[in-house]
Amino acid sequence: MAPVLSLRGIEKSYGAVAALKGIDLDIGRGEVLAICGDNGAGKSSLVRIISGAQEPSAGAITLDGRTVSFRSPQDALAKGIATIYQDLALAPRLSIVQNVFMGAELTRPLLPFVHILDKRRMEELAKGYLGRLSVAVEDMHRPVERLSGGQRQAVAISRALHWDAQVVIMDEPTAALGVKETALVLDLIRKLNAEGRTVVLISHNMADVTAVATRVAILKSGRKVIDRPVAGLDADGLAHMVMTGKES
Amino acid sequence: MRSFLETYGTAVAGLALTLFFVAFAPNFAAPTNLLNVLKETSFLAILAIGFTLALITSELDLSVAEVASLAAVVTGALIQAGQSSLLAVAAGLLVAFGAGLFNGIAVTRLKVPSLIATLGTAAIAKGFAFMITQGVAFVGRWPAEFTGIARGSMLGLPNLVIWLALVAGGALFLVKCTRTGVHMTATGEADEAARLAGIATGRMKRLGLALSGLLAGVTAVLLTASLSSAAPNMAGDYFLYAIAAVLLGMTMFEPGRANVPGTLVAALTLKVLGNGLVLMGAAYYVQDIVLGLIIIVSVALSATALKKAAFKL
Repeated sequence: MAPVLSLRGIEKSYGAVAALKGIDLDIGRGEVLAICGDNGAGKSSLVRIISGAQEPSAGAITLDGRTVSFRSPQDALAKGIATIYQDLALAPRLSIVQNVFMGAELTRPLLPFVHILDKRRMEELAKGYLGRLSVAVEDMHRPVERLSGGQRQAVAISRALHWDAQVVIMDEPTAALGVKETALVLDLIRKLNAEGRTVVLISHNMADVTAVATRVAILKSGRKVIDRPVAGLDADGLAHMVMTGKES
Repeated sequence: MRSFLETYGTAVAGLALTLFFVAFAPNFAAPTNLLNVLKETSFLAILAIGFTLALITSELDLSVAEVASLAAVVTGALIQAGQSSLLAVAAGLLVAFGAGLFNGIAVTRLKVPSLIATLGTAAIAKGFAFMITQGVAFVGRWPAEFTGIARGSMLGLPNLVIWLALVAGGALFLVKCTRTGVHMTATGEADEAARLAGIATGRMKRLGLALSGLLAGVTAVLLTASLSSAAPNMAGDYFLYAIAAVLLGMTMFEPGRANVPGTLVAALTLKVLGNGLVLMGAAYYVQDIVLGLIIIVSVALSATALKKAAFKL
């Protein structure tokens, strides 16, 4: 399978500290790739580079076979890579619709040169996105702060659907969630994947990884030490690999 | 029920207060008095709507009153020097807009918290106003075409009220119906999230503060035309009133968020309160005490956005 996104020799240094020391990683179209590693292994740096939040110190990124560089998360999003951050990316007191369309509001012409927000269309589309994710929320004007953690993730994912992102990066999507909400988010990942989208899952939770990921890349001290299919692994075995950096 | 109280409680209280004065304050309900309250409200509300637009992007503008005074004396100086009304008004508005833009640049580019930056601008504006006037007020003859901006009426409505309707309607349209307005709101609500969503948050803050300056200029022109004078401290009394109007407005319609309808109703309520107290024989200082209490209680009730703006030092 041709990779949708390829990283070659990615390095990132913060002053004298080398966070990433030459990462090669291929992300195949339609797979769910988990990126695991202990704290300080380089996961966050890698995510920031793929999502456009930071530029690598060295190395190349190719998207659909073409070399690209992302100037900002918005630039990456426009090129088809959406990142769902742990908690930063939603405005808690704004409504579901406002959050789904934040920065990408739809308008309709009112007068020549005067365009006003197309609130009805945005509401319908937002409802549709949540429907595709099988999340039932009646009131699209409810503030996001009054939704459950899983529903909030669905709102964030709806934004990726609106942009029709081919690659969706999810940074610790279940970190703060209870058992039931975690199950909902894993289900969201499966639904995204069933639409043919590629999901990159960054997670500390090995049970989540074995439940939804097809492949896992394990980082240790800024290097990729393991890259293999998840099939045949259980959570304990995976946790052991993350700790030791070795396949047992 | 709780939600109704949260959303409309203050507005209902304002209505009750008005009815109280209608019943008990001598001459309150007289048409000339009500018209005066409405005119007074226009100045306050236009100034406070500017403040509201800045606060929607989570920035304070403590310079509105001094900037209005500066714009007033700029306009007054040009008219007294024999320049055309159009040029004088344009210059006043431009100075006020420029002061607001200066605030915006200080906040977004120089990274000075708005609480401090706009306080500095207030002092600068005050200095320039005294420099232009040498401390005295411009009085004397004013062309009718200039005073007519604020004094006349159209279709039975005082011009001041028409100006207020235009400003309030325009601000409401901007905030609620345009992408720019939604981007301003998102910037104020969640700066980081808005930035990640590709919104130019710095530009939105500059716009909010620049519009705040511009509306201070509009207030200045209307005040000058209405009073036939321009003094370097003429808008000073509106400072606390404008802040109180915005904060009280944040307790209604969209609790916790600066909003145009809330500011409008709050400005009217405050002017009704001031007028009613005077008519009932309260001493002049009672107004200040009540105003201070309203400011504190409003923030305690709901103004989380303001707390955020004020304390991100």
